[in-house]
Amino acid sequence: MSDVIVEVDGVSKRFGEVNAVEDFSFHVERGQVYGLLGPNGAGKSTTLRMIMGLERPNSGVTRLFGTAVTAGCPELTRVGAIVEQAAFVPHLSGMRNLKLWWMAGGGRMADADLDNALAIADLGEAIDRKVKTYSQGMKQRLGFARLLLGRPELLVLDEPTNGLDPGEIREIRELIGRLTHQGATVLLSSHHLSEVEQVCSHALVMNHGRLITSGTVSDLVGTTKSIYVEVDDRAAAHELLVQLPSVINVQMQGDGLVMVLRDGRRSDVGAALVSAGIRLETLMPTQRLEDAFLDLLAAGDGGAVPSLQAAQVSS
Amino acid sequence: MIALIRTEFTKAASRTRSLVILLLLIGLPTLIVVAINARSGRPDRDGGEGLFRLASQSGLLVPAAVLSATSGFLLIVIAGTLAGDSVASDANWGNLRYLLMRPVSRARLLIAKAFVAGMLIWAATILVTLAALIAGLILFGAHPVTIPSLGGLLGTFNISGGALALRVLIATAYVAFGFSALLAIGTLFSTLTDTAASAIGATVGVYIVSEILNSITQLGQVRYAFPTHYLDAWETMFTQNTYSKEMIVGIVVQVAYLVVVGAVAIAVFDRKDIRS
Ligand SMILES: Nc1ncnc2c1ncn2[C@@H]1O[C@H](COP(=O)(O)OP(=O)(O)O)[C@@H](O)[C@H]1O
Ligand SMILES: [Mg+2]
Repeated sequence: MSDVIVEVDGVSKRFGEVNAVEDFSFHVERGQVYGLLGPNGAGKSTTLRMIMGLERPNSGVTRLFGTAVTAGCPELTRVGAIVEQAAFVPHLSGMRNLKLWWMAGGGRMADADLDNALAIADLGEAIDRKVKTYSQGMKQRLGFARLLLGRPELLVLDEPTNGLDPGEIREIRELIGRLTHQGATVLLSSHHLSEVEQVCSHALVMNHGRLITSGTVSDLVGTTKSIYVEVDDRAAAHELLVQLPSVINVQMQGDGLVMVLRDGRRSDVGAALVSAGIRLETLMPTQRLEDAFLDLLAAGDGGAVPSLQAAQVSS
Repeated sequence: MIALIRTEFTKAASRTRSLVILLLLIGLPTLIVVAINARSGRPDRDGGEGLFRLASQSGLLVPAAVLSATSGFLLIVIAGTLAGDSVASDANWGNLRYLLMRPVSRARLLIAKAFVAGMLIWAATILVTLAALIAGLILFGAHPVTIPSLGGLLGTFNISGGALALRVLIATAYVAFGFSALLAIGTLFSTLTDTAASAIGATVGVYIVSEILNSITQLGQVRYAFPTHYLDAWETMFTQNTYSKEMIVGIVVQVAYLVVVGAVAIAVFDRKDIRS
Protein backbone atom coordinates (compact mmCIF):
# COMPACT_ATOMS: atom_id res chain seq x y z
CA MET A 1 0.00 0.00 0.00
CA SER A 2 1.27 3.43 -0.85
CA ASP A 3 2.37 5.79 1.86
CA VAL A 4 -0.04 8.71 2.19
CA ILE A 5 1.68 11.78 3.58
CA VAL A 6 -1.02 14.43 3.24
CA GLU A 7 -4.70 13.79 3.20
CA VAL A 8 -7.39 16.39 2.73
CA ASP A 9 -10.69 14.69 3.32
CA GLY A 10 -13.97 16.42 2.48
CA VAL A 11 -12.77 19.73 3.87
CA SER A 12 -14.85 22.91 3.84
CA LYS A 13 -13.94 26.34 5.14
CA ARG A 14 -16.24 29.35 5.21
CA PHE A 15 -15.43 32.97 5.93
CA GLY A 16 -18.80 34.59 6.46
CA GLU A 17 -20.47 34.43 3.08
CA VAL A 18 -17.40 33.18 1.24
CA ASN A 19 -16.84 29.47 0.79
CA ALA A 20 -13.06 29.58 0.61
CA VAL A 21 -12.83 25.77 0.36
CA GLU A 22 -15.76 23.48 -0.34
CA ASP A 23 -15.91 19.72 0.12
CA PHE A 24 -12.34 19.44 -1.06
CA SER A 25 -10.42 16.16 -1.10
CA PHE A 26 -7.06 14.99 -2.37
CA HIS A 27 -4.02 13.19 -1.07
CA VAL A 28 -0.29 13.28 -1.58
CA GLU A 29 1.81 10.12 -1.44
CA ARG A 30 5.43 9.81 -0.42
CA GLY A 31 7.82 10.99 -3.11
CA GLN A 32 5.21 12.88 -5.09
CA VAL A 33 5.69 16.48 -6.07
CA TYR A 34 2.12 17.62 -5.98
CA GLY A 35 0.90 20.86 -7.50
CA LEU A 36 -2.14 22.79 -6.34
CA LEU A 37 -3.00 24.95 -9.30
CA GLY A 38 -5.60 27.69 -9.18
CA PRO A 39 -6.08 31.41 -9.72
CA ASN A 40 -5.86 33.93 -6.90
CA GLY A 41 -8.63 33.39 -4.39
CA ALA A 42 -9.11 29.74 -5.38
CA GLY A 43 -8.52 28.63 -1.80
CA LYS A 44 -4.95 27.35 -2.07
CA SER A 45 -3.53 29.15 0.94
CA THR A 46 -6.58 28.33 3.03
CA THR A 47 -6.13 24.64 2.20
CA LEU A 48 -2.45 24.71 3.11
CA ARG A 49 -3.19 26.56 6.37
CA MET A 50 -5.64 23.83 7.35
CA ILE A 51 -2.98 21.23 6.59
CA MET A 52 -0.54 23.09 8.85
CA GLY A 53 -2.99 23.40 11.76
CA LEU A 54 -3.24 27.17 11.48
CA GLU A 55 -6.92 27.16 10.60
CA ARG A 56 -9.68 24.74 11.46
CA PRO A 57 -11.97 23.40 8.77
CA ASN A 58 -15.70 23.93 9.31
CA SER A 59 -16.11 20.34 8.26
CA GLY A 60 -13.93 17.52 7.06
CA VAL A 61 -10.46 16.67 8.27
CA THR A 62 -6.86 17.13 7.21
CA ARG A 63 -4.25 14.51 8.05
CA LEU A 64 -0.48 14.46 8.08
CA PHE A 65 1.25 11.08 8.10
CA GLY A 66 -2.09 9.46 8.83
CA THR A 67 -2.88 11.55 11.92
CA ALA A 68 -5.61 14.19 12.08
CA VAL A 69 -4.09 17.65 12.23
CA THR A 70 -4.64 19.84 15.28
CA ALA A 71 -3.00 23.15 16.15
CA GLY A 72 0.63 22.50 17.03
CA CYS A 73 0.36 18.72 16.63
CA PRO A 74 3.60 16.68 16.84
CA GLU A 75 3.49 15.64 13.15
CA LEU A 76 4.38 19.23 12.25
CA THR A 77 8.03 18.54 13.15
CA ARG A 78 8.19 16.41 10.01
CA VAL A 79 6.92 19.23 7.80
CA GLY A 80 8.66 22.34 6.52
CA ALA A 81 6.43 25.05 5.16
CA ILE A 82 6.22 28.46 3.60
CA VAL A 83 2.65 29.73 3.66
CA GLU A 84 2.18 32.89 1.64
CA GLN A 85 5.34 34.93 1.87
CA ALA A 86 8.27 33.99 4.03
CA ALA A 87 8.24 36.39 6.98
CA PHE A 88 10.64 37.03 9.84
CA VAL A 89 11.37 39.27 12.78
CA PRO A 90 12.58 42.28 10.80
CA HIS A 91 14.95 43.81 13.33
CA LEU A 92 16.96 40.62 13.77
CA SER A 93 19.54 39.16 11.40
CA GLY A 94 18.77 36.20 9.16
CA MET A 95 20.97 33.98 11.31
CA ARG A 96 19.36 35.14 14.54
CA ASN A 97 15.93 34.50 13.05
CA LEU A 98 16.86 30.95 12.11
CA LYS A 99 18.26 30.20 15.54
CA LEU A 100 15.43 31.76 17.51
CA TRP A 101 12.83 30.02 15.40
CA TRP A 102 14.51 26.69 15.87
CA MET A 103 14.96 27.10 19.61
CA ALA A 104 11.40 28.37 20.12
CA GLY A 105 10.26 24.96 18.95
CA GLY A 106 12.28 23.37 21.75
CA GLY A 107 15.12 22.17 19.53
CA ARG A 108 18.84 22.27 20.29
CA MET A 109 20.95 24.08 17.71
CA ALA A 110 23.20 21.00 17.48
CA ASP A 111 20.27 19.03 16.06
CA ALA A 112 19.42 21.52 13.35
CA ASP A 113 20.61 21.02 9.81
CA LEU A 114 22.10 24.51 9.86
CA ASP A 115 24.99 24.06 7.42
CA ASN A 116 22.80 22.59 4.73
CA ALA A 117 20.14 25.24 5.34
CA LEU A 118 22.68 28.04 5.06
CA ALA A 119 24.14 26.54 1.91
CA ILE A 120 20.69 26.49 0.39
CA ALA A 121 19.82 30.01 1.46
CA ASP A 122 23.14 31.08 -0.07
CA LEU A 123 22.92 34.51 1.50
CA GLY A 124 26.64 34.93 2.09
CA GLU A 125 27.43 37.73 4.51
CA ALA A 126 23.89 39.00 4.29
CA ILE A 127 22.90 36.25 6.71
CA ASP A 128 24.19 38.52 9.48
CA ARG A 129 22.29 41.57 8.27
CA LYS A 130 18.88 42.54 9.59
CA VAL A 131 16.09 40.86 7.66
CA LYS A 132 14.42 44.21 7.00
CA THR A 133 17.25 44.97 4.58
CA TYR A 134 16.49 41.83 2.52
CA SER A 135 14.80 41.71 -0.87
CA GLN A 136 11.74 39.47 -1.18
CA GLY A 137 13.88 36.91 -2.97
CA MET A 138 16.40 36.85 -0.12
CA LYS A 139 13.58 36.43 2.40
CA GLN A 140 12.19 33.58 0.35
CA ARG A 141 15.58 31.84 0.34
CA LEU A 142 15.88 32.38 4.08
CA GLY A 143 12.39 30.89 4.32
CA PHE A 144 13.70 27.77 2.59
CA ALA A 145 16.65 27.66 4.96
CA ARG A 146 14.28 27.86 7.92
CA LEU A 147 11.98 25.12 6.72
CA LEU A 148 14.93 22.83 6.03
CA LEU A 149 16.40 23.16 9.54
CA GLY A 150 14.38 20.20 10.78
CA ARG A 151 15.19 17.87 7.84
CA PRO A 152 11.51 17.70 6.89
CA GLU A 153 10.00 14.75 5.04
CA LEU A 154 7.30 16.97 3.56
CA LEU A 155 7.66 20.45 2.10
CA VAL A 156 4.57 22.63 1.87
CA LEU A 157 5.24 25.55 -0.43
CA ASP A 158 2.58 28.18 -1.03
CA GLU A 159 3.26 30.09 -4.24
CA PRO A 160 6.99 30.01 -3.53
CA THR A 161 7.90 32.25 -6.46
CA ASN A 162 5.15 34.82 -6.05
CA GLY A 163 6.41 38.38 -6.08
CA LEU A 164 9.93 37.48 -7.21
CA ASP A 165 11.79 38.77 -10.25
CA PRO A 166 12.60 36.34 -13.10
CA GLY A 167 16.15 35.67 -11.87
CA GLU A 168 14.92 34.90 -8.37
CA ILE A 169 12.12 32.73 -9.77
CA ARG A 170 14.70 30.62 -11.59
CA GLU A 171 16.82 30.24 -8.50
CA ILE A 172 13.87 29.14 -6.39
CA ARG A 173 12.66 26.66 -9.03
CA GLU A 174 16.13 25.17 -9.29
CA LEU A 175 16.22 24.92 -5.53
CA ILE A 176 12.90 23.08 -5.46
CA GLY A 177 14.22 20.83 -8.21
CA ARG A 178 17.29 19.95 -6.13
CA LEU A 179 15.16 19.21 -3.07
CA THR A 180 12.81 16.95 -4.98
CA HIS A 181 15.77 15.09 -6.45
CA GLN A 182 16.84 14.40 -2.91
CA GLY A 183 13.52 12.62 -2.48
CA ALA A 184 11.44 15.17 -0.59
CA THR A 185 7.68 14.93 -0.86
CA VAL A 186 6.37 18.31 -1.92
CA LEU A 187 2.97 19.97 -1.92
CA LEU A 188 3.24 23.17 -3.88
CA SER A 189 0.58 25.71 -4.75
CA SER A 190 0.82 28.05 -7.66
CA HIS A 191 -1.21 30.13 -10.01
CA HIS A 192 1.45 29.64 -12.68
CA LEU A 193 0.68 26.75 -14.94
CA SER A 194 4.27 26.69 -16.14
CA GLU A 195 5.57 26.33 -12.62
CA VAL A 196 3.42 23.30 -11.91
CA GLU A 197 4.32 21.74 -15.26
CA GLN A 198 7.99 22.35 -14.63
CA VAL A 199 8.26 21.12 -11.04
CA CYS A 200 5.42 18.75 -10.30
CA SER A 201 4.76 15.08 -10.92
CA HIS A 202 1.10 15.29 -9.94
CA ALA A 203 -1.32 18.16 -9.92
CA LEU A 204 -4.85 19.23 -9.32
CA VAL A 205 -6.65 22.29 -10.53
CA MET A 206 -8.94 24.10 -8.12
CA ASN A 207 -11.16 27.15 -8.32
CA HIS A 208 -13.67 28.72 -5.95
CA GLY A 209 -12.56 26.22 -3.34
CA ARG A 210 -13.50 23.22 -5.46
CA LEU A 211 -11.59 20.54 -7.28
CA ILE A 212 -11.73 20.91 -11.07
CA THR A 213 -9.47 18.08 -12.20
CA SER A 214 -6.47 16.10 -11.02
CA GLY A 215 -3.95 13.49 -12.13
CA THR A 216 -0.31 13.09 -13.08
CA VAL A 217 1.10 16.09 -14.84
CA SER A 218 2.02 14.01 -17.87
CA ASP A 219 -1.57 12.75 -18.07
CA LEU A 220 -2.95 16.20 -17.68
CA VAL A 221 -0.52 17.65 -20.17
CA GLY A 222 -0.88 14.80 -22.68
CA THR A 223 -1.68 16.20 -26.06
CA THR A 224 -5.26 16.56 -27.07
CA LYS A 225 -6.72 18.04 -30.15
CA SER A 226 -7.48 21.30 -28.50
CA ILE A 227 -6.07 24.39 -30.20
CA TYR A 228 -5.70 28.05 -29.46
CA VAL A 229 -5.74 30.91 -31.96
CA GLU A 230 -5.25 34.65 -31.79
CA VAL A 231 -6.67 36.79 -34.55
CA ASP A 232 -7.31 40.45 -35.31
CA ASP A 233 -11.09 40.08 -35.43
CA ARG A 234 -12.23 37.67 -32.78
CA ALA A 235 -15.94 38.05 -33.42
CA ALA A 236 -15.60 37.28 -37.12
CA ALA A 237 -13.33 34.34 -36.38
CA HIS A 238 -15.79 32.97 -33.85
CA GLU A 239 -18.63 33.22 -36.35
CA LEU A 240 -16.59 31.38 -38.95
CA LEU A 241 -15.23 28.67 -36.63
CA VAL A 242 -18.56 27.60 -35.16
CA GLN A 243 -19.68 26.80 -38.70
CA LEU A 244 -16.70 24.58 -39.46
CA PRO A 245 -17.82 20.96 -39.14
CA SER A 246 -14.32 19.81 -38.09
CA VAL A 247 -14.31 22.11 -35.03
CA ILE A 248 -16.43 22.00 -31.89
CA ASN A 249 -16.63 23.81 -28.61
CA VAL A 250 -15.34 27.20 -29.75
CA GLN A 251 -14.80 29.56 -26.84
CA MET A 252 -13.34 33.00 -26.32
CA GLN A 253 -10.49 32.66 -23.89
CA GLY A 254 -7.80 35.08 -22.81
CA ASP A 255 -6.92 37.17 -25.84
CA GLY A 256 -7.95 34.49 -28.30
CA LEU A 257 -10.15 31.51 -28.99
CA VAL A 258 -9.95 27.91 -27.92
CA MET A 259 -11.61 25.00 -29.67
CA VAL A 260 -11.47 21.26 -30.02
CA LEU A 261 -10.51 19.77 -33.36
CA ARG A 262 -12.75 16.82 -34.18
CA ASP A 263 -10.86 15.74 -37.26
CA GLY A 264 -8.55 17.24 -39.82
CA ARG A 265 -5.40 19.21 -39.10
CA ARG A 266 -4.57 22.44 -37.32
CA SER A 267 -3.45 23.95 -40.61
CA ASP A 268 -6.99 23.49 -41.98
CA VAL A 269 -8.25 25.86 -39.31
CA GLY A 270 -5.51 28.32 -40.17
CA ALA A 271 -6.32 28.10 -43.86
CA ALA A 272 -10.03 28.65 -43.23
CA LEU A 273 -9.35 31.75 -41.16
CA VAL A 274 -6.89 33.24 -43.63
CA SER A 275 -9.07 32.62 -46.63
CA ALA A 276 -11.91 34.44 -44.87
CA GLY A 277 -9.62 37.48 -44.66
CA ILE A 278 -8.94 37.19 -40.93
CA ARG A 279 -5.35 37.92 -39.84
CA LEU A 280 -3.97 34.99 -37.91
CA GLU A 281 -1.46 36.02 -35.24
CA THR A 282 -1.04 32.78 -33.31
CA LEU A 283 -2.12 29.18 -33.72
CA MET A 284 -0.96 26.45 -31.38
CA PRO A 285 -2.04 23.22 -29.77
CA THR A 286 -3.14 23.56 -26.17
CA GLN A 287 -2.90 20.93 -23.52
CA ARG A 288 -5.37 19.51 -21.11
CA LEU A 289 -3.96 21.12 -18.02
CA GLU A 290 -4.04 24.37 -19.84
CA ASP A 291 -7.59 23.67 -20.93
CA ALA A 292 -8.68 22.99 -17.42
CA PHE A 293 -6.93 26.10 -16.30
CA LEU A 294 -8.23 28.23 -19.10
CA ASP A 295 -11.74 27.04 -18.38
CA LEU A 296 -11.33 28.77 -15.07
CA LEU A 297 -10.63 32.00 -16.85
CA ALA A 298 -13.72 31.52 -18.93
CA ALA A 299 -15.64 31.06 -15.72
CA GLY A 300 -15.02 34.73 -15.15
CA ASP A 301 -12.03 35.12 -12.90
CA GLY A 302 -10.67 37.97 -14.92
CA GLY A 303 -7.24 39.47 -14.66
CA ALA A 304 -5.88 37.76 -11.60
CA VAL A 305 -4.66 34.81 -13.63
CA PRO A 306 -1.49 34.57 -15.66
CA SER A 307 -1.58 35.34 -19.32
CA LEU A 308 -1.50 32.47 -21.74
CA GLN A 309 1.84 33.72 -23.03
CA ALA A 310 3.38 33.18 -19.63
CA ALA A 311 2.03 29.65 -19.66
CA GLN A 312 3.35 28.95 -23.14
CA VAL A 313 6.90 30.06 -22.54
CA SER A 314 7.79 26.96 -20.59
CA SER A 315 5.94 24.36 -22.58
CA MET B 1 8.73 26.86 28.07
CA ILE B 2 12.11 28.27 29.15
CA ALA B 3 13.22 28.20 25.50
CA LEU B 4 10.07 30.04 24.45
CA ILE B 5 10.58 32.67 27.14
CA ARG B 6 14.19 33.14 26.13
CA THR B 7 13.43 33.55 22.45
CA GLU B 8 10.50 35.87 23.10
CA PHE B 9 12.64 37.94 25.44
CA THR B 10 15.38 38.30 22.82
CA LYS B 11 12.81 39.43 20.26
CA ALA B 12 11.22 41.99 22.58
CA ALA B 13 14.40 43.32 24.14
CA SER B 14 16.27 43.75 20.87
CA ARG B 15 13.80 46.25 19.47
CA THR B 16 14.79 49.89 19.08
CA ARG B 17 11.61 50.69 20.95
CA SER B 18 13.02 49.02 24.05
CA LEU B 19 16.02 51.33 23.98
CA VAL B 20 13.75 54.36 23.67
CA ILE B 21 11.69 53.14 26.63
CA LEU B 22 14.87 52.58 28.61
CA LEU B 23 16.09 56.13 27.99
CA LEU B 24 12.64 57.50 28.83
CA LEU B 25 12.53 55.56 32.08
CA ILE B 26 15.88 56.93 33.18
CA GLY B 27 15.48 60.40 31.71
CA LEU B 28 12.05 61.36 32.92
CA PRO B 29 12.55 60.51 36.62
CA THR B 30 15.86 62.39 36.52
CA LEU B 31 14.11 65.39 35.03
CA ILE B 32 11.41 65.27 37.70
CA VAL B 33 14.01 65.17 40.44
CA VAL B 34 15.82 68.14 38.94
CA ALA B 35 12.50 69.98 38.88
CA ILE B 36 11.86 69.13 42.53
CA ASN B 37 15.30 70.47 43.35
CA ALA B 38 14.71 73.69 41.46
CA ARG B 39 11.46 74.28 43.28
CA SER B 40 12.78 73.48 46.73
CA GLY B 41 15.02 76.55 46.56
CA ARG B 42 12.05 78.84 46.11
CA PRO B 43 9.73 79.96 48.90
CA ASP B 44 6.81 77.56 49.17
CA ARG B 45 3.87 79.51 47.80
CA ASP B 46 1.00 77.10 47.20
CA GLY B 47 2.56 73.92 48.46
CA GLY B 48 2.11 71.92 45.28
CA GLU B 49 1.33 68.21 45.22
CA GLY B 50 1.79 66.44 48.52
CA LEU B 51 4.63 64.07 47.82
CA PHE B 52 6.35 66.50 45.50
CA ARG B 53 6.46 69.23 48.09
CA LEU B 54 7.94 66.84 50.63
CA ALA B 55 10.35 65.03 48.38
CA SER B 56 13.25 67.43 48.72
CA GLN B 57 13.53 66.45 52.39
CA SER B 58 15.13 63.15 51.48
CA GLY B 59 16.36 61.22 48.46
CA LEU B 60 14.55 58.22 49.93
CA LEU B 61 11.19 59.92 49.47
CA VAL B 62 11.89 60.95 45.88
CA PRO B 63 11.00 57.55 44.32
CA ALA B 64 7.55 57.79 45.91
CA ALA B 65 6.95 61.17 44.33
CA VAL B 66 8.23 59.98 40.95
CA LEU B 67 6.25 56.72 41.03
CA SER B 68 3.14 58.68 41.85
CA ALA B 69 3.78 60.98 38.91
CA THR B 70 4.62 58.28 36.36
CA SER B 71 2.23 55.47 37.27
CA GLY B 72 -0.79 57.49 36.15
CA PHE B 73 0.28 57.80 32.55
CA LEU B 74 3.85 57.12 31.45
CA LEU B 75 4.07 53.67 32.97
CA ILE B 76 0.58 52.83 31.77
CA VAL B 77 1.54 53.70 28.21
CA ILE B 78 4.76 51.72 28.47
CA ALA B 79 3.09 48.70 30.06
CA GLY B 80 0.30 48.89 27.48
CA THR B 81 2.88 48.98 24.71
CA LEU B 82 4.73 45.95 26.03
CA ALA B 83 1.56 43.92 26.61
CA GLY B 84 -0.38 44.94 23.50
CA ASP B 85 2.59 44.31 21.29
CA SER B 86 3.33 40.74 22.26
CA VAL B 87 1.28 38.72 19.76
CA ALA B 88 0.20 41.47 17.41
CA SER B 89 3.73 42.44 16.39
CA ASP B 90 4.47 38.89 15.26
CA ALA B 91 1.17 38.90 13.40
CA ASN B 92 2.12 42.24 11.91
CA TRP B 93 5.43 40.89 10.62
CA GLY B 94 3.67 37.81 9.21
CA ASN B 95 5.85 35.75 11.51
CA LEU B 96 3.10 34.44 13.78
CA ARG B 97 2.10 31.62 11.42
CA TYR B 98 5.69 30.44 11.29
CA LEU B 99 5.83 30.30 15.10
CA LEU B 100 2.62 28.30 15.17
CA MET B 101 3.17 25.80 12.37
CA ARG B 102 5.39 23.88 14.77
CA PRO B 103 4.65 21.49 17.57
CA VAL B 104 4.26 24.36 20.03
CA SER B 105 1.18 24.74 22.19
CA ARG B 106 -0.52 28.06 21.57
CA ALA B 107 -1.34 28.45 25.25
CA ARG B 108 2.32 28.08 26.14
CA LEU B 109 3.42 30.54 23.50
CA LEU B 110 0.89 33.06 24.79
CA ILE B 111 1.94 32.55 28.40
CA ALA B 112 5.61 32.92 27.42
CA LYS B 113 4.84 36.14 25.59
CA ALA B 114 2.80 37.53 28.48
CA PHE B 115 5.48 36.47 30.94
CA VAL B 116 8.12 38.35 28.97
CA ALA B 117 5.90 41.43 28.75
CA GLY B 118 5.28 41.17 32.50
CA MET B 119 9.00 40.91 33.19
CA LEU B 120 9.66 44.01 31.13
CA ILE B 121 6.86 45.89 32.92
CA TRP B 122 8.46 45.03 36.26
CA ALA B 123 11.85 46.06 34.93
CA ALA B 124 10.39 49.36 33.75
CA THR B 125 8.86 50.12 37.16
CA ILE B 126 12.03 49.18 38.99
CA LEU B 127 14.03 51.35 36.62
CA VAL B 128 11.85 54.36 37.43
CA THR B 129 12.41 53.80 41.14
CA LEU B 130 16.14 53.32 40.71
CA ALA B 131 16.60 56.37 38.52
CA ALA B 132 14.60 58.48 40.99
CA LEU B 133 16.43 57.02 43.96
CA ILE B 134 19.88 57.65 42.55
CA ALA B 135 19.10 61.18 41.42
CA GLY B 136 17.35 61.84 44.73
CA LEU B 137 20.20 60.56 46.86
CA ILE B 138 22.71 62.63 44.91
CA LEU B 139 20.71 65.84 45.28
CA PHE B 140 19.08 65.45 48.68
CA GLY B 141 20.93 62.67 50.53
CA ALA B 142 19.37 59.93 52.67
CA HIS B 143 17.51 61.51 55.58
CA PRO B 144 14.50 60.61 57.67
CA VAL B 145 11.48 62.76 56.87
CA THR B 146 8.84 64.69 58.80
CA ILE B 147 5.46 64.67 57.16
CA PRO B 148 2.38 66.72 58.05
CA SER B 149 -0.52 64.32 58.43
CA LEU B 150 -3.58 65.38 56.39
CA GLY B 151 -1.91 68.64 55.45
CA GLY B 152 -0.93 69.34 59.06
CA LEU B 153 -4.43 69.00 60.56
CA LEU B 154 -3.32 65.97 62.57
CA GLY B 155 0.14 67.16 63.40
CA THR B 156 3.21 65.54 61.91
CA PHE B 157 4.89 62.15 61.89
CA ASN B 158 8.42 60.95 61.18
CA ILE B 159 9.61 58.13 58.97
CA SER B 160 13.11 56.83 59.47
CA GLY B 161 15.49 56.23 56.58
CA GLY B 162 15.19 52.46 56.94
CA ALA B 163 11.41 52.55 56.94
CA LEU B 164 11.45 54.81 53.90
CA ALA B 165 13.63 52.37 52.02
CA LEU B 166 11.34 49.47 52.87
CA ARG B 167 8.24 51.42 51.83
CA VAL B 168 9.85 52.42 48.54
CA LEU B 169 10.48 48.75 47.90
CA ILE B 170 6.87 47.85 48.69
CA ALA B 171 5.55 50.76 46.62
CA THR B 172 7.60 49.70 43.60
CA ALA B 173 6.39 46.12 43.82
CA TYR B 174 2.79 47.25 44.32
CA VAL B 175 2.88 49.60 41.34
CA ALA B 176 4.48 46.94 39.14
CA PHE B 177 1.97 44.32 40.24
CA GLY B 178 -0.78 46.87 39.69
CA PHE B 179 -0.19 46.46 35.95
CA SER B 180 -1.19 42.78 36.02
CA ALA B 181 -4.72 43.52 34.85
CA LEU B 182 -3.31 45.69 32.11
CA LEU B 183 -0.95 42.90 31.11
CA ALA B 184 -3.86 40.46 30.79
CA ILE B 185 -6.06 42.94 28.91
CA GLY B 186 -3.19 43.91 26.59
CA THR B 187 -2.41 40.27 25.88
CA LEU B 188 -6.05 39.57 25.07
CA PHE B 189 -6.24 42.56 22.72
CA SER B 190 -2.97 41.49 21.18
CA THR B 191 -4.49 38.18 20.10
CA LEU B 192 -7.46 39.95 18.52
CA THR B 193 -5.67 42.11 15.97
CA ASP B 194 -2.84 41.99 13.49
CA THR B 195 -1.88 45.61 14.10
CA ALA B 196 0.22 46.17 17.17
CA ALA B 197 -0.76 49.84 17.27
CA SER B 198 -4.45 49.07 17.70
CA ALA B 199 -3.81 46.52 20.45
CA ILE B 200 -1.64 49.04 22.29
CA GLY B 201 -4.13 51.85 21.72
CA ALA B 202 -7.05 49.77 22.96
CA THR B 203 -5.16 48.66 26.07
CA VAL B 204 -4.03 52.14 27.05
CA GLY B 205 -7.52 53.39 26.13
CA VAL B 206 -9.17 50.98 28.55
CA TYR B 207 -6.91 52.22 31.32
CA ILE B 208 -7.45 55.89 30.60
CA VAL B 209 -11.21 55.37 30.47
CA SER B 210 -11.02 53.37 33.68
CA GLU B 211 -9.15 56.23 35.33
CA ILE B 212 -11.63 58.80 34.12
CA LEU B 213 -14.64 56.77 35.23
CA ASN B 214 -12.92 56.08 38.51
CA SER B 215 -12.76 59.78 39.21
CA ILE B 216 -16.54 60.08 38.87
CA THR B 217 -17.55 59.34 42.46
CA GLN B 218 -21.24 59.17 41.53
CA LEU B 219 -20.57 55.80 39.94
CA GLY B 220 -20.23 54.43 43.46
CA GLN B 221 -19.17 50.88 44.15
CA VAL B 222 -18.85 49.87 40.52
CA ARG B 223 -15.55 51.68 40.60
CA TYR B 224 -14.07 49.17 43.03
CA ALA B 225 -13.89 46.66 40.20
CA PHE B 226 -12.01 49.01 37.88
CA PRO B 227 -8.44 47.90 37.25
CA THR B 228 -7.18 51.35 38.19
CA HIS B 229 -9.22 51.94 41.33
CA TYR B 230 -6.63 50.79 43.84
CA LEU B 231 -3.54 51.78 41.89
CA ASP B 232 -2.63 54.62 44.28
CA ALA B 233 -3.41 52.74 47.50
CA TRP B 234 0.31 52.57 48.31
CA GLU B 235 0.63 56.33 48.73
CA THR B 236 -0.78 56.34 52.28
CA MET B 237 2.46 54.66 53.38
CA PHE B 238 4.09 58.02 52.77
CA THR B 239 1.27 60.51 53.30
CA GLN B 240 -0.54 59.02 56.32
CA ASN B 241 2.02 56.66 57.81
CA THR B 242 -0.32 53.67 57.32
CA TYR B 243 -0.30 50.53 55.21
CA SER B 244 -3.73 50.78 53.64
CA LYS B 245 -5.90 47.66 53.59
CA GLU B 246 -6.87 48.74 50.10
CA MET B 247 -3.50 47.46 48.94
CA ILE B 248 -4.63 43.91 49.72
CA VAL B 249 -7.91 44.45 47.91
CA GLY B 250 -5.98 45.96 45.02
CA ILE B 251 -3.83 42.86 44.75
CA VAL B 252 -6.90 40.62 44.80
CA VAL B 253 -8.50 42.65 42.02
CA GLN B 254 -5.34 42.41 39.92
CA VAL B 255 -5.12 38.65 40.43
CA ALA B 256 -8.77 38.30 39.44
CA TYR B 257 -8.19 40.19 36.20
CA LEU B 258 -5.04 38.24 35.50
CA VAL B 259 -6.79 34.89 35.92
CA VAL B 260 -10.10 35.68 34.22
CA VAL B 261 -8.89 37.84 31.33
CA GLY B 262 -5.82 35.63 30.92
CA ALA B 263 -8.02 32.55 30.57
CA VAL B 264 -10.16 34.32 27.98
CA ALA B 265 -7.03 35.34 26.05
CA ILE B 266 -5.79 31.75 26.00
CA ALA B 267 -9.17 30.44 24.91
CA VAL B 268 -9.42 33.03 22.14
CA PHE B 269 -5.89 32.42 20.88
CA ASP B 270 -6.31 28.67 20.98
CA ARG B 271 -9.32 28.77 18.68
CA LYS B 272 -8.13 31.51 16.42
CA ASP B 273 -7.63 31.05 12.69
CA ILE B 274 -4.09 32.21 12.09
CA ARG B 275 -3.83 34.10 8.85
CA SER B 276 -0.82 36.25 9.61
N1 LIG C 1 -10.04 35.69 6.80
C1 LIG C 1 -10.79 35.75 5.70
N2 LIG C 1 -11.96 36.43 5.73
C2 LIG C 1 -12.72 36.49 4.64
N3 LIG C 1 -12.44 35.89 3.48
C3 LIG C 1 -11.31 35.19 3.38
C4 LIG C 1 -10.43 35.10 4.49
N4 LIG C 1 -9.39 34.34 4.10
C5 LIG C 1 -9.61 33.99 2.82
N5 LIG C 1 -10.76 34.51 2.39
C6 LIG C 1 -11.33 34.28 1.06
O1 LIG C 1 -11.21 32.92 0.78
C7 LIG C 1 -10.89 32.71 -0.57
C8 LIG C 1 -9.66 31.86 -0.71
O2 LIG C 1 -8.52 32.57 -0.27
P1 LIG C 1 -7.07 31.97 -0.37
O3 LIG C 1 -7.07 30.64 0.26
O4 LIG C 1 -6.13 32.98 0.17
O5 LIG C 1 -6.86 31.80 -1.94
P2 LIG C 1 -5.51 31.58 -2.78
O6 LIG C 1 -4.41 31.26 -1.84
O7 LIG C 1 -5.83 30.46 -3.70
O8 LIG C 1 -5.27 32.85 -3.52
C9 LIG C 1 -10.78 34.09 -1.18
O9 LIG C 1 -12.00 34.39 -1.80
C10 LIG C 1 -10.55 34.97 -0.02
O10 LIG C 1 -11.05 36.25 -0.28
MG1 LIG D 1 -2.65 32.33 -1.57
